[in-house]
Order: sequence, then C-alpha cells, then structure tokens
Amino acid sequence: MVEITQLDSMPKASVRAADGTAAAAALGLDFGSSEQRDDTLVVRIRPDEWYLLGDGAPAMAAGLDLSGFASTVDTSHSRTAVRITGDRAADTLAKLGSADFSDHMTPNGASMGIGIAGVTCDIVRDDQHGVRSYLLLLDGSFVTYFLGVLHDAASEF
Amino acid sequence: MSQRLPAPLGDVIDRSSAISFTWNGTKLQGFEGDTIASALLANGEHILGRSMKYHRPRSVLTADFWDPNTTVQVDDEPNVRASHRKLADGMAVSAQNVWPSLKFDVKAANGLVGRFLTAGFYYKTFMKPAKLWPAYEHVLAKFAPGGAVDLNTPHGRYDKRYAHPDVVVAGGGPSGMAAALAAAAAGSSVILVEHEHQLGGYLLWGSDDDRTAATGLAAACAAAGVEILTNSTVAGRYEDNWISISQRSHPGVIERLIKARAKTLVVAAGTIERPYVFQGNDLPGVMTSGAAQRLIRMYGVKPGTRAVVFTANESGDSAVEALQSAGISIARVVDARSGEGITSASGSKSRVKRVTLSDGTTVECDLLVTAVGWTTPTSLLNMAGDRPVYDADAARFFPAGPPDNVLATGGMVGDGSRDELIAHGQATGELAAGRAAVVRQRIQAATARAAAVDGPELDYPADERTPLDRVRHPELYRSTTHGIVDYSEDVSSKDLFSAAGEGFDSVELIKRFTTATMGPSQGKLETVNTVAVLAEARNETIAEVGTTVWRPPYAPISLGALAGRINEPTRISVLQPWHEANGATPILAGQWVRPEHYGDPAAEVRNTRTNVGVIDVTPLGKLDLQGPDVPKLLSLLYTNKWMALPIGGVRYGLMCAEDGVVLDDGVTARLGEEHYLMTTTSSGAAKIWNWIEMWLQTEHPDWQVHVTPVTTGLTSINIAGPNSRELLGRLTDDIDLDPDAFPYMNVRRGAIAGVENCIAWRIGFTGELSYEIHVPSGHAVHVWEQLLEQGADLGVKAFGLEAQRIMRLEKGHFIVGQDTDGLSKAPVTGLNPLLKLDKDDWAGMPEVAWTMESGDHPVIVACQPDNGSVIPEEAAQILRAGTTEIVGRITSSRMSPTLNRSICLAQVTKEFADPGTSLEVLLISGERITATVQEHHAHFDPEGARLRG
Repeated sequence: MVEITQLDSMPKASVRAADGTAAAAALGLDFGSSEQRDDTLVVRIRPDEWYLLGDGAPAMAAGLDLSGFASTVDTSHSRTAVRITGDRAADTLAKLGSADFSDHMTPNGASMGIGIAGVTCDIVRDDQHGVRSYLLLLDGSFVTYFLGVLHDAASEF
Repeated sequence: MSQRLPAPLGDVIDRSSAISFTWNGTKLQGFEGDTIASALLANGEHILGRSMKYHRPRSVLTADFWDPNTTVQVDDEPNVRASHRKLADGMAVSAQNVWPSLKFDVKAANGLVGRFLTAGFYYKTFMKPAKLWPAYEHVLAKFAPGGAVDLNTPHGRYDKRYAHPDVVVAGGGPSGMAAALAAAAAGSSVILVEHEHQLGGYLLWGSDDDRTAATGLAAACAAAGVEILTNSTVAGRYEDNWISISQRSHPGVIERLIKARAKTLVVAAGTIERPYVFQGNDLPGVMTSGAAQRLIRMYGVKPGTRAVVFTANESGDSAVEALQSAGISIARVVDARSGEGITSASGSKSRVKRVTLSDGTTVECDLLVTAVGWTTPTSLLNMAGDRPVYDADAARFFPAGPPDNVLATGGMVGDGSRDELIAHGQATGELAAGRAAVVRQRIQAATARAAAVDGPELDYPADERTPLDRVRHPELYRSTTHGIVDYSEDVSSKDLFSAAGEGFDSVELIKRFTTATMGPSQGKLETVNTVAVLAEARNETIAEVGTTVWRPPYAPISLGALAGRINEPTRISVLQPWHEANGATPILAGQWVRPEHYGDPAAEVRNTRTNVGVIDVTPLGKLDLQGPDVPKLLSLLYTNKWMALPIGGVRYGLMCAEDGVVLDDGVTARLGEEHYLMTTTSSGAAKIWNWIEMWLQTEHPDWQVHVTPVTTGLTSINIAGPNSRELLGRLTDDIDLDPDAFPYMNVRRGAIAGVENCIAWRIGFTGELSYEIHVPSGHAVHVWEQLLEQGADLGVKAFGLEAQRIMRLEKGHFIVGQDTDGLSKAPVTGLNPLLKLDKDDWAGMPEVAWTMESGDHPVIVACQPDNGSVIPEEAAQILRAGTTEIVGRITSSRMSPTLNRSICLAQVTKEFADPGTSLEVLLISGERITATVQEHHAHFDPEGARLRG
C-alpha cells in the first residue's frame, strides 16, 4: 500500500549559510540529515543549505541572524512537496531513482538530492507514526507529470 | 496428446488444468506448466521450425532456454523461444520464416544450392556492382529470417527498477541456491536469479532425491527472505558490480530491467550441454541427453520410440534410465568412454531413421541422444575481466580468477556430487556475504546520510573454500564427418574449415566472417565447438586457439525492457490550465507545455500592437542571486559591465562559453544592495544555473554568492502594447508607473492586484511599451484574471508563443539557439558595443577578442524578400548569386501582420552584410528568390519609440 499526497500549501524556505555564521550555528544538523523542531522540519540538504518546511518555516527563516554570508529565499511557490507513505514507498521510488533507500543507507531523517523519473528532487525520509514516508521536494512546474509517474510506479503495490 | 507420458512423469505440468492453443491454425491442447515446445511434441508435432539459411526441418535440440531450433511466432510476437515460453490459453502459435507452410517450404530450395552458399557468400557476391545493391536488397529481404512484426501492435508495458542487494546470485541450481541461502543466513540481502521457470537446475530432471533436494532448497531460500527471480537472466556485469537483470516474470509487465548494484556477485550458471558435430546432427530426433530427460521427467513427453544413446558421461547414462522409464526402446548405447563413437545420422526430411557408428555399424532408430560434454558459460566472469582457461583433461574451460567481488561456484568451477556442489555453494555464499559486509560498511561510512556504522572495521575475508574436483572427460567435439556447429546461423564445420582456409583463422575473425556464435544462443552451444573445429583446421590445441570474449548481454533482452517506462518530464506554469480552458493550442517548447496561440496568432499580434496583450512567459529562467560578490560574478559571465548597476536598474547581457560561442542572453535586475534577479532564456535556465555553480564552486569558491532558481516560483506575465501602462496602473497603487519614475530598463517591487511581493520590469521582447510582472505563483491565476477583467475595455487579449515570436522578429531580436548556433561567437550577433574587451576578463573573452581582430565571422542581419509574399523556410541556404557557394542561411522567417510582408533574420558572411545587399535564397522547392539586407535588425520601429513611450 502506498499513499501519495501533494502538499500544496506547505510553506518552504531555503537558507544558505556559510560555516561559522550565526544562521549555520542556529540550524545545525549534519549534512544529509533532518530534524522536526516544533512545526518546522529542518533539513540540511547540502553542506551550506538548509530547508525549512512546514507552517513555522516563514517565522523561523525571518528569525535567523543573517549576518555574515547567509541568505534566505521563500521557496513556497517554487518548490512543490509530495509525500509518499507506506510499506512499499521505497519500492515505488526504486522504480524511478537509483538511490539506495534501505534503512542503513537512508534511515529515518536522512535527506539527499537525486533524480526521480528525470526530475531533480530533494528527498527527506520522514516516517509518519512509524510508517515509512518520504517527502519529495521538486520544482512545482513538474508536479502534474511527476504525480502521474508516481501513481504509475505505485500501481503495482 | 499422443506422446504424453503418464504420471508420475511430468513434474512441472498440471494435468488437471488443460490449455487450448493453435499451431499453424490447428487447435491443440496442452497442460498448465507446459512449454510451447513440450505441448507441441506431446501432440505429435515434431517439426517446430526451419533453419535460417537452408530451411532444413528442425526440432527440439536442448529443450531449454538455449534451444536454437524452436523459434516460433506467438500471436503478434515474433522470435519466441518455444522451448522456454510457457503455454498460455488461446495462444496462436505458428512457424516462422517458412513459405507457404512449415511442411512444404519453398525456401528449402536453398539447400539444393547449399554448396554455393558457403560462409562469406553474401559478402562476396553482392558487393558488385554497387548500383545493383537496391535490387539485391529487395530480393534478400524476402529471405531474411525472423517472424512477422505487426506495426499496429499496441505498445506493451515494460518496467525498470533499481536494487542495491548485498549479493546477487546468478543461477538457481544446487550451488546457486546454497550460496543464496548461506548469504542470507549470514545477514545479507540476496537476489537469486534463475533464467528457467523453476529453481533447481539439473536436479529438476534428476533422481527423486535430487528433486526433493531442489524443492527443499528452494523453500529454504524463500523462507530465508531471498528475493527469487525465476524466468529472469543476469544479462550483464559492469564496472563495480553493476548488474543488469532481465526479469520476464514480473506481473503486469512484459519484461523488466533491474539495475542492481551488488556488493558481491556469485556466478553459479552451471554448465551447458554441448551438441556433437557430425553429419546429420540437425535432423529432427537428434537431441542432447538433458533435453531427453527434461522432456520425459519434467513435461511427461515421449521424445521417440527407439533410441540410440551416444554417451561419454553420467548424464548420458541417466538419459538411458529416463528413456527406459518412458518405455522407449534402447536400440544401442554407444559409450565414448569405451572408445565407441558415431559418424553420421540419416533419415527422412522429418526424422532421424538410422545412426552409423564408428565401426560402420548402422542402427535403426527415431531418436539419437548425445551426451558428449559441457560448456562452462563464463560470460559473466568474462565481463568481470576473467579469461577462461582450457583444461584438456576435463574437456572444458574453467575460470582463471575473477576479481574479489565476483565469485564462481558449482559446475562452473568443478565437478562433484549434489552434496559436494551444495557444500561449495554454501561456502561461496558465506564468503560472498562476508565480503559484501565489508563493502557495505565502507559505503555506509562514506555516505553522509547513512546510518552510523556499528562495531569495529571488518576485515576482507580470504577465499578459503575447498575447491571442487575436476572429473576426466573425453574430448568430443566433432566426429569424422561434417555437421552443423551453429544451428541458429546454419554454420557447419565445413564452413569453418573453409573460412580458416581463406585466412579467417583467428577465433574472432572466423566468428565475424561466418557469423558462428552470433545467433540468439549467443554462443552458449556453439562457441567451444567453433573453437574446437578451428583448432582442428589450424592443427593446434583448443588452448592455443582460445575463445572469443563474451560481452553483454548473456541472453537477448527486448528493446522494450531496455527502454523501460518512457518517462519524459514536462513542465507547465500554473496558468496552463487557464490557457487550455480558453482555447489555447499547446506546443511543447523544450520541456514546457505552452500556449502556441489562441486561434489566430496574426490577430494576436495586431491586437497587441494596437491595444494591449498579455502572455504567460513563466518558462523564462529566473535565478535569485544574493551576496556581496554578485557584481563580480555578473562581470565574469556577461560580456558587458556590471559593477555599477544601480538598485532598481536592469541591464541586458550576453553570455559566452569559454570558446566565445554565444551561450545565453537575458536581463538582470538589481533588487537590493546585495540582491539581484537574473533572467535567462527558457531553454537555458538549468544550463546557466549549472554554469554559474561551476564558476562559483571551481574557480571562485571565495566569492560570496548564493544562487537559487526561482523560475517556477515567480509566474511571469508580459503586458505589452500601447495600453499596457494604463492596464497595469489599474492593478497597482504601489508602483509609480510614470515614465520618469519608472523608465525603460528599470525594475520595481510592489503589490499588484493585491498580491504582495510582485516584481515589475519595464522591458519587452515585442517592441511595444511593456511590463513584465513576476507574481508569486500561488497567486498568479488571480492576477492573470484581473488583468483580463480590468483591461476588457482596453482591448486586452491573451497572446501565445507564436505571436510573440512574430513580434520579436519584427523587432529584430535574435533568439539564442535559433539565430545563433554552436559555432556562433559573440561578434556574430552584431552587438559589438556590448563586448567589453577593456574588462579584466569574462568567459570567452580571449576567443571573442581573436574573432573580432580577425574579422572572419558571419553576422546576423535582417533581410526582406523582394517578393513580400514569399516566406523562405528557416535554414534555407543563401548562395552567391548564380553559384552553389553557400554564403549564409535564413535563421528566422515569418509573415509580419504589422508590415504585411515576409521578414527574416539571417546569418551571412560579412561580404553580404551591408545594408542594401541583394541575397539569393534557395528555397526547398529549388526556386531561387532575392532578398535585401536591411539597415537595422528591427523591421519595425527601429528607433524604439514605442518601446520607450
């Protein structure tokens, strides 16, 4: 069983911050990991880039000290979030992307950038109530195509 | 089913489940579990096909995946392996490559002239005269082998999947199953791949104990969590154990390609029984010992009534027992181990009738079973770099030593009892798991997102397996007579001798010259016999001749499986549903689905020039740039100067690649002290982002610039036309649109139609007074609809891509990639004032400087056909008058609704670039027309009065 949901209204912000800046220190996390902080999922998607996802994202972004080399961009309208949840969610993604989604390589909380069905995506493993779940972030212009491909891949499950 | 044997023979068929099918139009029945071939034989249908070249009647030879003689057409699918494909209800099976029928095939006349159709006949005969080749081709096509392809067949569903198992085991015989089981027991994730329909390998047609052992091992593998893929083939092994698996058994799809990155590959492909080369070896009724046993024990089919068995090993002895159990009379057992042999078989066209032995004795029979030895299918090991070594005592090749992450087990590496093979497989599985664990630990430790590695660093386990013995076996490849070596390609040992005599005496050359080993069996049955015959012809040993190199695929894969699901990403703006709901004709521009027009592009142009039009230009690439070093970056990427752009200012820029060729163009605005917004061409957005990151990450990591793509986040709407200021003014109080307050080439931010954080640019591509507004996409539909509603009395209408292309051509704006190409350096554009050679550096500057210095480059000019009703095709050649010398080409052309005549942009050599020059344009029709070079690029409003109004 796989459930695919488009999260239209999820606020999203991108934070870029160099090592040693106040923003980097505040957001923390190891590269490739994520952490839920109140109503915001903080993801360190690249060595100098974080995503803030969820209702608290705008406030968290606005509250960051951007002194030094740091910046934020509201990506709520640029990036679409799609959640894929279920025991066979990893099997669905494995039909569309070459990453290793096994527990030891992509544990809950892990994040990565990868191509899924030809679309550049950022993926966060974000299990929901103990059920395997992935949050996929992609350029919003692809979403009609992308949802079609995801449903096609998941149809066997 | 006249040849069906009673139970308990026929392990894999379900006699309670009958299946109907047709064979060449005749209705027949088989059972669930039958292959097409076993069902046909059970019905007494003995001839299943004709050979490729001579159209000789053929029947079952190996009764498995590799059988070269049983290729049939099933419904609309050609080239189906009847000895492998399971029978399905309603199948329409027919012989292929025969005319008018299987039993009477006119093309068999080829056999009468067979002595002239030797290897290389095709190459030698049809080379000259070259002008006759079309005629040859037409006739030869009639003789091409293969079934019929129906071009109207619906596309089937194929699929693809990635996997990252610890261990892939290729081969589901006793050793392979034991290896998979042991690896799984050691904690590895395992994929076990078997190309037949059941696990078990040779145990499936062995003794009762063998079959019990097979069932037990298969059940244990399933219970241990091994992913079992039957009717699947490990098709290739590539660098770093990238394994391609062709899965023909996945529900709902015809075939699926699995791309597996295995930490260890175990090759347990067993051995393949080799046919014997002698006169008459392709007669129906001649088959391998494995084939006879499979037909009897697995499918309950009686392959004959009176048999001669030529045996050199236990498989032949076992075949004798199987034949006897089926009630088949044994006319003679010819034992090679006692020095006996056979020299030829003969009979009618449809069946073997007698066998002549080495001592001259003739034995009547309708079945000849041969058991002359084994070929080691070392393909996957070859692909890993291994080169097999011939062992004359064992009469077969063995692996020399594959790399550490590839292990071989089972019959490939030696001989042994069932228990010995299982033990070797088990040891191999444990070793594979141990090595996979080390690789896994290393990958995990090196991957940021992976779970933390527990425990100490693992040591790479040494190979301490006890080797299997090698049993002596007589070398039996060819008798004293000539026979078929490659059944698929109809190549005989005589052909090979002949080719060797002509000088094609290396194994790689003879393969290509004769096509031996190049058929659907991919050399599994033929390679070693080819090598042996060549060794005989060269009077050398098999070891001296060596083998060809086996490359992927191990077995043929369908093109559909290689393609997988066709996923071609497309993009749309949030306004696209509105466009489609309002009559837009969609067009795919790059990845973007866009409105080409709303019915009449010329009317859209006229309305925009007269009133006001709106167009969705969201695909325009947009990059948010922040940081103190953005001006340095812009100065490096663009050819012009950027260090002093004021806040609120906009500048056009041209980008070059390092070779000076035009890469992209666009405008960039300064939104704040350290905040810029760059636009690129629609197709260049991703490329330019990549280009910027390349410079920042490799050449200038010290520069402080953050780049974020925001193409989709900002829906872009261009409002163009004389009434555009009035229209936009009705939607915003935030932005002062007075021309003095907001002049051309400026940018402002504010609320539009109540939507905060919009960006308005005073720029345009159409030549009209225009504003490009960027709206947060979630609110774009509202803003778009407000524009149309508020501008109704101003005559606002949406216009599409085609109208925009016309207007930009009227205005003389070139498009990168259309009016330039991969050789167009920046001076070609004629924008020389923007090529600032006095800057320190910019990407492509040296090449551009050299080009400008030499002056030897074409230029873009505007031209108009002298007959304004003729529109030259884009890419039409421009010739020196009266000659065929090409001096340029038309790069863009349209009929201008504004000027009511055809207009063009062209690239011409400098000699033809001066205004007033007459150009001769060659149309596709062959007609030549004249066109005149214009003074300006702009055909319309060259002074830009409308734009700056």
